[in-house]
Order: sequence, then C-alpha cells, then structure tokens
Amino acid sequence: MGCIKGGGILLAANVPAVVVENLSFRYQTRSERAIQDISFELWPGEILLVAGASGCGKTTLMRCINGLIPRSYKGDLHGRVLLHGQNTAGMRLADISRIVGTVLQDPEKQIMGSYVCDEVAFGLENLGWPREQIIATVEETLEYLRISHLRDRETFYLSGGEKQKVAIAGTLAMRPSILLLDEPLANLDPFSAREALDMIRRLADEGRTIIIIEHRVEDVLSIRPDKALLLEQGQQRYFGDLEGFARTVEYGEVKLPAPLVIEKAKGQKGMAIAPPVLETPTSKDEPLVLFEDVTFGYEEGTVALRDINLAIYPGDVVAILGPNGAGKTTLIKQAIGLLKPTAGRVVVAGQDTRQTSTAQLARTLGYVFQSPSHMLFAPTVREELAFGPRNLGYRAEDIQAGVAEAIRILNLSGLEDYSPLALSFGQQKRVSIAAILAMRSRILAMDEPTAGQDYRNYMEFMDSILQLPYFSAILFITHDLDLAICYANRVILMDNGRIVADGKPEETLSQPELLRECHLYPTSLLQTNLAMLGRTGRFMRAEALACLEANPSVDSSAFGLVG
Amino acid sequence: MLVTWKYRERNTIIQKLDPRARFIFMLCMLFSIIQFWDSRVMLLFLAISLGQFVVAKITFRETRRVWLLVGGFITFLTMLAFVTGRGGTGVYTEEHVLFYLPSFTLPILGRKITFPITAERIMFGLSQMTRMLAISGFAIIIPYTVDPRLYGVTFRGLGLPDKFAYATDLAFRFVPTLGRDFSITLDAQKARGYELERFEGGIIGQIRKLAPLIVPVTIGAIVAGEEIADAMDLRAFGVAPRTWLHQLTYQRRDKILIAISVGVFLLSTVLSILGWGRFWIPGWLLRMAKG
Repeated sequence: MGCIKGGGILLAANVPAVVVENLSFRYQTRSERAIQDISFELWPGEILLVAGASGCGKTTLMRCINGLIPRSYKGDLHGRVLLHGQNTAGMRLADISRIVGTVLQDPEKQIMGSYVCDEVAFGLENLGWPREQIIATVEETLEYLRISHLRDRETFYLSGGEKQKVAIAGTLAMRPSILLLDEPLANLDPFSAREALDMIRRLADEGRTIIIIEHRVEDVLSIRPDKALLLEQGQQRYFGDLEGFARTVEYGEVKLPAPLVIEKAKGQKGMAIAPPVLETPTSKDEPLVLFEDVTFGYEEGTVALRDINLAIYPGDVVAILGPNGAGKTTLIKQAIGLLKPTAGRVVVAGQDTRQTSTAQLARTLGYVFQSPSHMLFAPTVREELAFGPRNLGYRAEDIQAGVAEAIRILNLSGLEDYSPLALSFGQQKRVSIAAILAMRSRILAMDEPTAGQDYRNYMEFMDSILQLPYFSAILFITHDLDLAICYANRVILMDNGRIVADGKPEETLSQPELLRECHLYPTSLLQTNLAMLGRTGRFMRAEALACLEANPSVDSSAFGLVG
Repeated sequence: MLVTWKYRERNTIIQKLDPRARFIFMLCMLFSIIQFWDSRVMLLFLAISLGQFVVAKITFRETRRVWLLVGGFITFLTMLAFVTGRGGTGVYTEEHVLFYLPSFTLPILGRKITFPITAERIMFGLSQMTRMLAISGFAIIIPYTVDPRLYGVTFRGLGLPDKFAYATDLAFRFVPTLGRDFSITLDAQKARGYELERFEGGIIGQIRKLAPLIVPVTIGAIVAGEEIADAMDLRAFGVAPRTWLHQLTYQRRDKILIAISVGVFLLSTVLSILGWGRFWIPGWLLRMAKG
C-alpha cells in the first residue's frame, strides 16, 4: 500500500483524503439540525469550494471534519468522516490536527504567538518536537510561503494579509495533508487575497487536499477548484465539478464572475431592473464634511493621514478603497470626531470637530464600526436600535418609527425580541448597521459593511439604504471593488495616508497602475464594465449589463439612475 | 487577538537579566515590604523600586498613563483610610490629635461628623502610600523590561506546569487586550451619542449607564476565551509535554541578583521578628500633638 506523510505520520495514499458520509449534526442547544445528510469525497491534491448563504452549515461541516465536533461542541452527530481511510470518531483531537490543518476566518482569532516565529512554532511545541527540529521546520515553512522577512515581526503589527499568511504558516508547519480554510479572503484587500489564492493553488498542486469555504466564490473560481459543494439550509444542494456548479447556482445567491451572471441573467424572464444609483451631484452646495490640510499622527509616531483635502457634498455616495493600513478608517474617525487632526481642521455641517463632541456630531454623521461585537449590549434587538436615537434626544414616536424602518431594511423582522448577543455574526452585523440607520443622521458612514455577510443579504440592504430619503450622503469603506462599482458615484483611493485619486468610478477605477498601487485587483465586473463603457457611459451591476445586452434598443439611462 | 505589552529593546542591564531572576527579585521585595510599616524603610524600598526605572532607561512619559491610573487608585485608598481613620487598625492603638478639620452635621440623621487630623493618621497615610507605590513600581516595570516572548518559558522555569505556564502568559496579555477592547467599545458607543460624562440618576442609574461599555467588553472577553481555546485545541495544545522554543540560562549576574533578593527577604524577616521597622512616628510630630 502506498503511503504519504501528514503531520509526520504515514497515511494511506490509495484512498480518498476526505470522505464524508451521510453527515448530520444538531447542536445541543438547538432543536433543528445544522447540517443534514452531507456526503462527498476528495482525493489528495484536490481543492473543494464550499459555498452557500450565511447559516447554511458551512462552519458546522468544517468543525465536523477538524474534530471540534463532537469534542468541543456537543450535540447529536450521525454519519462519519474518514481522513485517509481512518474514521475520526476514535481519534484524539491532537491526532486529527496533525492530519487536518484549520485556518479560521479571522486570523486574529487564531494567532497565539506574540511574534511570527513563535506563532509558527506553537503547534510543534505542543507536539513536543525537539527544539532544533522546530527551528528548522519554522524556517522551512516561512521560506516555503515566502514570508521569511516577517520572522521576527510582532504579529499584532502585521497587515491583514500578512496575518493570514502567518496563520496559514502556523497550520502548515504541523505538516497537515488536508487544509481547511474558513473564509480565508474575508479580511483581505484584493491584492492580498490574490496572493493567498495563488498560495492555496500551489499547496494543492504539491499534493495537499484543500477545502475552502468562501463567500467570494468568484475569487476562488479563479484558481480552478476541482470540485464544489453548495449548501442550503444545512442540506447539500450540489456536489460535483465546476460546470455543474455553475449550472446549479443562481446568480443572486453567491458572488459569481460577471460574464456568468450576465449569461444567467439574460436567460431570466421578468428580470428586475437594477436598483437606483444616486447620480453624481452637479451643483456644489455647501459641503457636509470638509477636510482642510488634515494631517494626523498617532502617539507612537505613526503618521496615518497626510495633507488631506476633501469635501463631501449632498448626493455623494463615496466608496473609500485602499490597502490595509492606508488610513481609510482613520479618515472616517476624524469626521466623527473620535480622532482630532494633528494639523489642519475637519468641519462637519459647519462645526469644527475640535470644538464639538462625538455625541453631538453623531446627529450629522452616523458611523457603523467594522466589528459589531464591540457595540452590542442591549437585552433585545429593539432596545439596541433605540439606544442611539434615545441618546440623541429624539421623541418616542420618532424613535419607534426609525427602529421599525431599520428592522425592515436590514431584514431583521422576527428577531426584534432576540438578544443581539445571541445572533450569528452576519445578523449582528446587520443589527449594528440598523442601530445607526435608526439614528437617521444626515450622513451614513460604514466601515466594511459587507464583511461576513452573504451576497444576497448585503446586496439587498445596500439597495434599500441607497433609496432612503433622509441620507444626504453615504460613505463606505470597502475592499470589495464590485460594491464600489454597483453603488458609488464617487470613489476615493487611499494609500499610505494620502488620497491618491478622487472622482467618478469610471475615471478612478479605469487606471490599472493606480489600482495596483492601491492593492486593488480588477474584477470581472470591472473588466466587463470597462469593455462596455462606450455604450453604457457609466458603471453598472452585472444584472443591468445583462438587461442591456438582452435588449440592445434600451437606453442605459433607464437603469434606475436617480438624481 | 491578544495584544502584548509595549516592549522595546533598550540594551540595559535589567533587560539582560534572566526574567526568572527578575520575578524572584520582585517577589522577594514584595514579601520584604509587607513586613514593615516604618515610613523610612518604605522610602528605601520606594527608592529601589523607582531606581529600576532609571537603570532601565524608562522615561516617565512612557509610563505616565499607568502611573496616573495606579497613583489615582492609591491616593483614593490612602485618603479613604486617612479620613475614616480605619486603615491603621492594629498598626497603632492610640491617636494624638494635631487639629480638627471643620465639622458638619449630617442632614436628617442630625449626627455631627468631626475630622480629627492625628499624627498617627498622617504617618500611616504616608507609609501606606509609599508602600503601595513601591510595590506598584516593582510590578509596573516588568512588562516594559521583559521580552513578551519569554513569559511562558519564565513561568515554566519557575516551576509551573506547561499548561499553567502558558495560561499565565495568556493572562499577562489579557490586560492590554482588555484595554484595547474597552477603547474601541467606548468609541463605538460615542458614535451612537453615548456620553460617559453625562451622569444622571442615583448609583443604580449610573451603573446602568455603564452597561453599554461593560457588556460588550465582558461578552467579547468570554467569546474570545472560547475562540482561543478552539484555536489551541486545533493545534494540539496540552496533549503532550511541551517543548519551549525559547530557552533560559542563568548567568552569574542572575545568580547574584537571586542571592541578594533572598538575602534581603531573610534579613527583612529576621528584623521583623526582632520588632524592627514597625510603625514609626517622628518625635517632633508627637510633640506638636501634645504641645
């Protein structure tokens, strides 16, 4: 019998690397099953893409394969998981972890070491390997992943992309033959995501079996996974090759490449017209937010913003793009007064932020933080949403109306009396956005509003938010180029604390050099839009482009452009 | 993600010492200090404690926030003991009044409150303050001068089992992590119109007002604990005797420091048993009270 090495142990080579047979699991605290009758097999060197909406059971499936279920998460488990022919039921978690390496969605939740070298060595130290062997393996792994230059860096100060690579290194050092990646691209800028994907392809080409759970299906498809598994409400809707997957999946369900969406959308009857995009304001009224020669440095000496001059006008829907650490969040924090300029000044609705408290500025600018867990505290969703408007001194009936509307827009109906703390991450994120919507500030600013959301959900709430009458301007920070293409009428590109481009999306995103400088990678939607720009005159979402292709006589201005 | 204490290599003798010797030194000083109440002895220990910062080339600016926090807490405790006169129970039995602060009568109860300032209260307050400042100094300097990579192996080297040693390492990092999370939560709630400064209502109302800060930070810490446990499980933590990547070796200077530390502790114990270093009041202060 042929053998391969995994985690330093010999494994059978002539059997599938992973076999999942009729797997079902119900958490102890839940009445319904999280996954039901999942079956598939994977051979060494294959990549499996697992796709599906939030709450479809992807993470539960991952926990069953890496052994956390039933060892750390108790419940009712049926079916079996075989790794290289061995049933995991009788194995210790330590033995499974030598075969299956898991990289969690957020590398921050995985990294244990204060320094890169310690982080990569952590698993090997736990296995009790001799010290010299650990050092050699750490060096080898860092070199293999081409991150030897990070060896002595503090993990806390790494960029998002670097953290993800270090988390992969920490897992790979244990020499697993199977890698489980849970949304590895979620926190990465497009350039870092591309690097991570190339690395994943290389690992598979060298014989590792890879299971990759990802909402950003389009990105994963670019490295040609061998198989795809589509889950829906805990059930297996499809397992097989990519051609079958492309036929099965609907275009609004997960994020697919633009040409495929156009192809699918063209064949749909009664296709919905694209929702509105606010027209770029032509008259320059009094700016809502004004940055004048703003420079800002943190106490430890890092200069986060340099010479920023920026005016946000009524009607602006601004996408702020740029690599991790470019100063995007710092820019918004200046506008809400959480940070004050070191030089220059920021004026919001005529008030200098130095002379105004954040609480006062919140009436004008509502800011949705990136992580919802840092703000949720109330016993119910309803009370959570009422907290902001109450602080701002709104009348009871206005609070009630604002809360009801926010619940409807963010698709939270039925959850009003639930504790926000007991909801899933995706739901919590929607509650955090609803909490700011309920405040009805004149300007809405969102930091990575789509992170951790499935495609259908975030497109729906972005559509609704854009149609709300009371926002004079909307700003959002994102790594998702397509979100900017679909919704923004103005794009700001930032790099190294400076604004390097500011203008209409069609102007700023059509310069390949500039995109590369800002760690952005042209998506298929951008490329399709650029190819059709002569006819459309502006960027559109794929469904609108499909409509235009299907009805060549239709004028592009009919696609929901509102002034 | 757990945050580490701000640490920077400074190439000083203190940083070159083995962290185990540093911890032994700290513990010996701590157990020596608590055997005395004499302010003069306390001042000596405070001088040693603060002297470390000079030797370690740590500026006041770097540690200002910690000192303000600790200093505020110490001042509060000292003032409480000073005003109530309860702190020194057992340390002194009689009091010599220097003067009285203006008295006042409690509304409704009609009870008259007087504030006698006594020689004992002043000296006890001074002793208590210097004692706590000295102890704080011995502790505060640790994160600024011990490489964060070495905590785990240091505790292992001090005799703790693998699991406890690593857990102590994690616990050390928990403090700055909590500080960071608190700051993010405060910002997030401020952006929702929350004002910590706007205190309203009674004590219950004020505590309720802190819920938007305390609940997310506490729940966040619990969830993070579970996630850390998962991440550790997935990388075989605790399944076998652990290898520690970093190694510590005692040098001559470490042995000397340990010998001095143990010596100071033994000397303190002997002196304490002999009745030396007890609560002390200068004669001139007593004479002022009596005169």
